[in-house]
Amino acid sequence: MTLRWLAAALACAALAAVPLIAPSAFRQFGTEALLLASLAQAWNILGGYAGYPSFGNSAFYGLGTYGTAVMMARFHQPFAVGLACGASLAVACACAVGVPILRLRGPYFAIVTLGLSAMLAAIVRNLAIAGRNIGLILPLTRKDTLFYELALGLLVAATATVALLAQSRFGAGLVAIRENEEAAAVMGVATTRYKVAALSLAALITAIAGGIHAYWITFVDPASAFDGSLNVKMVIMAVFGGPGTVLGPVVGALLLSGISEVLASTISTMASLFYGVVIVVAVLFMPKGLWDAGRELRRRGLPYFGENLRRYRL
Amino acid sequence: MALFVQIVVNGVLVGGLYGLMALGMGLVWGVLNIVNLTHGALIMLGGYTVYYLYVRAGLDPFAALPVAMLGLFGLGYVLQRFVLGSIARSPLLNTLLVTFGLEVVATYLAQLAFSADLRTINPPYAGQRLAIGGVVVPLVPAAAFGAALLLAFGLWIALGHTRTGRAIRASAQNLGAARLYGVNPRRIFALTFGTGAALAGAAGGLYGLVAQLNPYMGNSLTPKSFVIAILGGLDRPLGVIAGGLALGVAEALTGAYLASTYVDAISFGLLVLLLVARTSRLIRSA
Repeated sequence: MTLRWLAAALACAALAAVPLIAPSAFRQFGTEALLLASLAQAWNILGGYAGYPSFGNSAFYGLGTYGTAVMMARFHQPFAVGLACGASLAVACACAVGVPILRLRGPYFAIVTLGLSAMLAAIVRNLAIAGRNIGLILPLTRKDTLFYELALGLLVAATATVALLAQSRFGAGLVAIRENEEAAAVMGVATTRYKVAALSLAALITAIAGGIHAYWITFVDPASAFDGSLNVKMVIMAVFGGPGTVLGPVVGALLLSGISEVLASTISTMASLFYGVVIVVAVLFMPKGLWDAGRELRRRGLPYFGENLRRYRL
Repeated sequence: MALFVQIVVNGVLVGGLYGLMALGMGLVWGVLNIVNLTHGALIMLGGYTVYYLYVRAGLDPFAALPVAMLGLFGLGYVLQRFVLGSIARSPLLNTLLVTFGLEVVATYLAQLAFSADLRTINPPYAGQRLAIGGVVVPLVPAAAFGAALLLAFGLWIALGHTRTGRAIRASAQNLGAARLYGVNPRRIFALTFGTGAALAGAAGGLYGLVAQLNPYMGNSLTPKSFVIAILGGLDRPLGVIAGGLALGVAEALTGAYLASTYVDAISFGLLVLLLVARTSRLIRSA
């Protein structure tokens, strides 16, 4: 156990040292990838552990983005105040909508979260203080390294939270909800409170990622703040890596970001096709994600893929 | 008053088409328990098939519809038989993800093959309209509306009164029992998915007659079909058409009296309210 923590600390230190040696293009790619990994990790809390697949976490991302942007651009507050404001907006929203929408299950829950994001985007488009369709411009900064370290800090904090959660009573309750919600309720898990807490935690991490991204890019508009493809990416990354595991979503996100970046620089239009193909192949051949595949492959070898393909056949 | 009637008529004409879009999705969902996120892409493919049959082969769009339906039936049959069939018993998230991935692939390939330009199927009789009282009824949308109703009615008859239709409904209700009576689920499920895809293809062709086609149109049509399928009840074709009409009218009224930027928010707002209000009923009937 101690060895694992030591390895984790070493990996963090190595990642933190990257900006010292890497070129600036890599710092930008790294910041983007680390933020995406944080989003995947946030999705993992409710989607992976509790089994409630949200397709609308970009709603919280947008709230974090706009909370930060409005505070900084309109009220001339420092970044920290803006971030806190965006994060509290998102958590408040998660608590408010959580109770009604978390009563829905499966596809109903997925589509309602998608709708939530679309509705918030429509509201922001009509708000004068948020700059309507045009968006807001934030104070300019040129500190790529700072944003890289901030993104890394967020990812480490999110992963540490999930690691603690996985061993806690709270995490066990979420897994129980995923496996059989009625049974969990009968065993005394306060299912509604657990689910709302998980959604709020996910909203908090997602909103902070949005805020960091807003200040880094120094520009926000409704299309990029409530970007639907973000939902897609975080879900695909988490599921590809291994939903319901501590490190799976992080590994999945960093790996997929890397491959898609290489593809984008060689064959520019291939990047979007890539995510589609990856998710189809991944679900067919390793439905429990990279993490499980890595473990099982060592034990059973290549037949593992064939077994997965046959397991769910009609 | 005349303006109000005109808006409602426009809403009804669009709504019939919405209903047809949702018909295939509701059928697949109700029978196979797959929320098919590729549905919008299938609509898009149907639209382009009719477009190219008209532009390249000179086939009248309404005559090209059956051809497009046949093509999409084949595509749907193959998809279900060889891809979706192999994850039929896995958790719902997996089928969501796979159909979603297929949608991304289809959109990308469409963009490559058809380019991102907006296309409209524009037959010579496109501009003709009928004036009844003070209300103008454009001819092509009205014909598209009629075709949508006809297809929904056909599906209703086919599900209720043919041997295959009964086998489809039996598989939806109790697969084990249906198997004992000699239903081959692989064939029936592929047939059902193919029918859903064919209906999507027809909807796409008609959509191309009244609005613009582009490779990304599926993105907004999939959630819309989802909303309508729930509004109407999954495997009740006439209910789905009614759901489409309701959404079409609601959107037309929002666009005219509130603001057009709110149109998409309305369909989702409606969905959220409906689902939250009807949760207990949905869970009991699921």
